Amino acid sequence: MNPRDEELVASAQRGDRGAFEELVERHKHKAYHIAFDFARDREEAKDLSQEAFLKAFSNLRNFDGRSSFYTWFYRILVNLCLDYKRRQKRRPAEEFDETVEHQLDPSHQPSMPMSPDQHVLAGQISHKVGVALQALPPKQRTAFILKNHQGLSIKEIAEMMQTAEGTVKVHLHRAVTALRQRLAEFA
Amino acid sequence: MTDQNNPLIVPCKTLEEDLVLFHYGDLAGSERDTLQSHLNDCTGCAAYLRELGNLLPLTVKADEPAQTFWNDYSRELRHKLDATMEKKPWWQNLAVIFQPRLLSAAAGAAVVAIALAFTLGKGVWPTKDIPHDDETMMEALPVAENLEFFKAMDVLDDLDLLESMGSQGGAA
Repeated sequence: MNPRDEELVASAQRGDRGAFEELVERHKHKAYHIAFDFARDREEAKDLSQEAFLKAFSNLRNFDGRSSFYTWFYRILVNLCLDYKRRQKRRPAEEFDETVEHQLDPSHQPSMPMSPDQHVLAGQISHKVGVALQALPPKQRTAFILKNHQGLSIKEIAEMMQTAEGTVKVHLHRAVTALRQRLAEFA
Repeated sequence: MTDQNNPLIVPCKTLEEDLVLFHYGDLAGSERDTLQSHLNDCTGCAAYLRELGNLLPLTVKADEPAQTFWNDYSRELRHKLDATMEKKPWWQNLAVIFQPRLLSAAAGAAVVAIALAFTLGKGVWPTKDIPHDDETMMEALPVAENLEFFKAMDVLDDLDLLESMGSQGGAA
């Protein structure tokens, strides 16, 4: 039977490096996908999620078990992603466009083959969605990504964002309203 | 896909937040049942819900890297962890020095050192010059002598006065 996260954390806190690596194996996929939802870039998502694991490793002594390891770790990750987006905001718009265009490279997505028309449409949507998400305030963007992309419950998001469930619902509603206005042509 | 110039579908304003939660399956119990029955009668809310169903999945950008990516990911992270363990940040080195146990021992040693310095170094270190008793007497003596002189002068003044009074009386 596999040990629970909390048991692995306790072992890691006693200096068992292998226990921490097991936690990484368990959470690396989800961590990467959350980071990708924020960064929309593979290399950035890899760096951000790895940085979150390193930060968790360095601060493992401070983890007191009041929340689950899952919540504690993803809070670290989301904060790093938000910091990354703040830094990104200082970059010129052209650079952001380049990043989005880079994502549209067919070799970048190992998904089903698309026709040229579908490819163009997917590119337009991806670009507009990227810009629309970028324009959302950080809390709205966080609530939206964790709900819409990751399928977390409102309770989990509230714990991660350290806020009330009602506040998360408000952020989510406002994010959806803003995206709906910006992406109306695709609805 | 709707025309870009068409106005947005307008749902019932008070139910908009619930419709978003309904879309994500986060509305439960009686609230869900009430909204469900409302949707049967309200075309605006029903259209809004359909629009969310079409639009929101488009915002998800799927990315499924190959297995080699994940192998590299783990190997790279292990190297980074090795580097983290080898190279402690400067503040952690300081933290070792400022551990409570070491800090209290250092404070105790400092108190003992100060106490010893005061006790043993009393005759060694120069102190502020305080005049000795003899020197004080030597300074006070001339002042006392001068005082006697001035008192004697006062008596002489009085004698002059008596003489002048006596001579005046004799003449009278």
